[in-house]
Amino acid sequence: MDSHSASSAGASPGLTHAGWQFSPRATWAAPALLVAVGYYLAARIGFAFTLQPYPISTLWPPNALLLAALLLAPTRAWWWLLAAALPAHLLVELQSGVPVVMVLGWYISNCSEALIGAGLVRAFVPWPLRLDSLRNAGIFLFGGALAGPLVSSFLDAALVSLIGWGERGYWDLVGTRIFSNTLAALTVAPLILTLASIEIPRLRAARTVRFAEAAALFAGLAATCLVVFDLPQFSNHTAPALFYAPLPFLVWAALRFGPAGTASAIAVMVVATIFGTVNGLGPFAGSTPQETAREMQLFLSAVAVPMLLLAVVLHDRARVELDAREQRLQLTHLSRVAMLGELSGGIAHELNQPLTAILSNAQAAQHLIANKSADPEILVEILRDIIAADQRAGEVIRRLRTLFKRGETQFQPLDVNELVHEVLGIVHGDLVTRSVEIVPELAATLTRIHGDRVELEQVMLNLVINACDAMAGIAPEQRRLTVRTRKVDVEDGAVQISFSDCGPGFTPDQYAKLFEPFYTTKPRGLGLGLSISRAIIRAHHGRLWGSSTPGKGASFHIVLPAPRGR
Amino acid sequence: MRACVSVIDDDALVLRSLDRLLQSRGFEVHTYSSAQAFLEQHDASTPGCIVMDLSMPGLSGLELQQALAHSADRRPVVFISGRSSVEASVRAMKAGAVDFLTKPFDEADLVAAVSAALEKDRASREGLAERSAINLRLSTLTPRERDVLSRVVAGKLNKQIAAELGTAEKTVKVHRARMMRKMQFDSLAELVRAWTVTQPLPPAPPQA
Repeated sequence: MDSHSASSAGASPGLTHAGWQFSPRATWAAPALLVAVGYYLAARIGFAFTLQPYPISTLWPPNALLLAALLLAPTRAWWWLLAAALPAHLLVELQSGVPVVMVLGWYISNCSEALIGAGLVRAFVPWPLRLDSLRNAGIFLFGGALAGPLVSSFLDAALVSLIGWGERGYWDLVGTRIFSNTLAALTVAPLILTLASIEIPRLRAARTVRFAEAAALFAGLAATCLVVFDLPQFSNHTAPALFYAPLPFLVWAALRFGPAGTASAIAVMVVATIFGTVNGLGPFAGSTPQETAREMQLFLSAVAVPMLLLAVVLHDRARVELDAREQRLQLTHLSRVAMLGELSGGIAHELNQPLTAILSNAQAAQHLIANKSADPEILVEILRDIIAADQRAGEVIRRLRTLFKRGETQFQPLDVNELVHEVLGIVHGDLVTRSVEIVPELAATLTRIHGDRVELEQVMLNLVINACDAMAGIAPEQRRLTVRTRKVDVEDGAVQISFSDCGPGFTPDQYAKLFEPFYTTKPRGLGLGLSISRAIIRAHHGRLWGSSTPGKGASFHIVLPAPRGR
Repeated sequence: MRACVSVIDDDALVLRSLDRLLQSRGFEVHTYSSAQAFLEQHDASTPGCIVMDLSMPGLSGLELQQALAHSADRRPVVFISGRSSVEASVRAMKAGAVDFLTKPFDEADLVAAVSAALEKDRASREGLAERSAINLRLSTLTPRERDVLSRVVAGKLNKQIAAELGTAEKTVKVHRARMMRKMQFDSLAELVRAWTVTQPLPPAPPQA
């Protein structure tokens, strides 16, 4: 264990993990108490799930609880937690009239199960263990749920035989304990592990609909399990089909509620099944207690393992997708900010115009008043112009703030012509400085398309700036950029936006590389503009492409589909 | 004729505000919404200066400055610009602009620049008037009198001039007296100054 305690000490002190906070001088009182109480209750549950009259527990959760506690705690806390379980173990076992030696023997075998399982897991996964990847889940299943119960059961049965408690044979004992404890490890440990890793703020942020869905899922699952496993069976022929009845709910949990939801659903099903079986109900009743228990445990384990793995894989994939989306958002934002940086000179011009008008108007008014030559009508005009200039400056700031903001994509109905005006407004100063004349050819009426305003404006800005850059080498009076919007007749209600410049254009060879990331023809370009633009338009279910007559100019076209069904 | 300030800016709000400000400070102001409009409408004979934006759609401020430099109209230019591009301001100043103000500017700077520009225009117009008067008198000289004049101005003695022209010193003296009378100069110093003024104007500043 020493090597592991070293690694856990390396896991920075003070790290927050799943609600437990560890500091260098951590007090273990609360976790230890929790383990003691939990162990006691788990043992009571284990006793309750015993098939009468033969005393075989079908599910023995205390060991699984210990395993979960060890996996959640850093290695140096393990001895504390195991020690905390002893009083609970003594309390619950001595009540049932078992000799003290046997009680202590069981304590040793129970602890060894948790230690073997947790030790194996810790050897491969540093603390803390999270069931959020297939690797972690696999290691947990093999180490914690299989190897722990398996190895410790030989020890347990040996102790029982040595002490001479009971009349059952060694291999019989080994088999019974393996199945019972494996099922417990599969049911209880993932439940505790996944529930402990739930982030409370995220739970609070969840919408009521999610809670309603969870309630529906668990109500449906509980009802189905009740019908299938807790009612007298009239015909054995229906049994195989009935076994599949809870599966849809488990898949639902895996798809929508992650490992924690799935572990909870499995726990519900296990409890319902065992409850029915120990009361002589459900499809497993009818054979000898030992056979009944074995059948049921195999069935439940066979369901729990794939469902847990499915939930983990889905969760992992969702997380990867979320990461990718977050990265795309970041990249999009970065390239937008970089683009606005290029425009900063023109934007300064756009702000300085109204500021000049305001200052000069105000100073003119000052003189008019000081000279007593102020005609009230002129003063009214001056004030009107000051207000107009101020509003114009405010508008520039508003547009910029929207573009600088980094946020989630928000789809809404948009007027493409309005977007074009906004974009041309932002680049106006730059267009003037670069002597680029805009020729707008905007369709009178267009269907509103569904899209994210900021991202679409970013694409148009990118195309306008590219066009201006492309025309930097030609005579100023020839720099003309045509912006055209039109309805695409063949595609019902789709809108096309085209930007056509009079620059040198591009060859087919260049076009092949144009949309590749980091391809650029500009001395200071990143080469991300068009590739990000295309990604944005694809996310809008639209198309972005270019066409060119080399030497005469290039055109870039966006087609955005009309919203369907509305 | 009263000097007038021609303000050119494509932004109507800015144009109106500059019109009001300069008028409130007692200037005569004409406004134009583009360099093209100025070229078409302004009266080249009116003295004055130009206050204009550097970057405007169509003909830009720098282009108008060049166009004026190639014409007879050399009215001084004050540039105002919304962006402080060092390169553009250097080009403007090299091309002979009086001042280069970055928007938004204080009225004191604008008034100072406009006053300096008007003063420069007045001085250059006065110089022009003097030059044309002297040129007129120069045109009344005979070729021989011109030969004498150019050599007098170059600081040569009558004896040397006579030798160069292959004539008698006495004859040179006569030519010289007649030339001085026609040019209405009493002293050699006056003659030299007038000669300097009438030298052909330096060529238009090179366009960067």
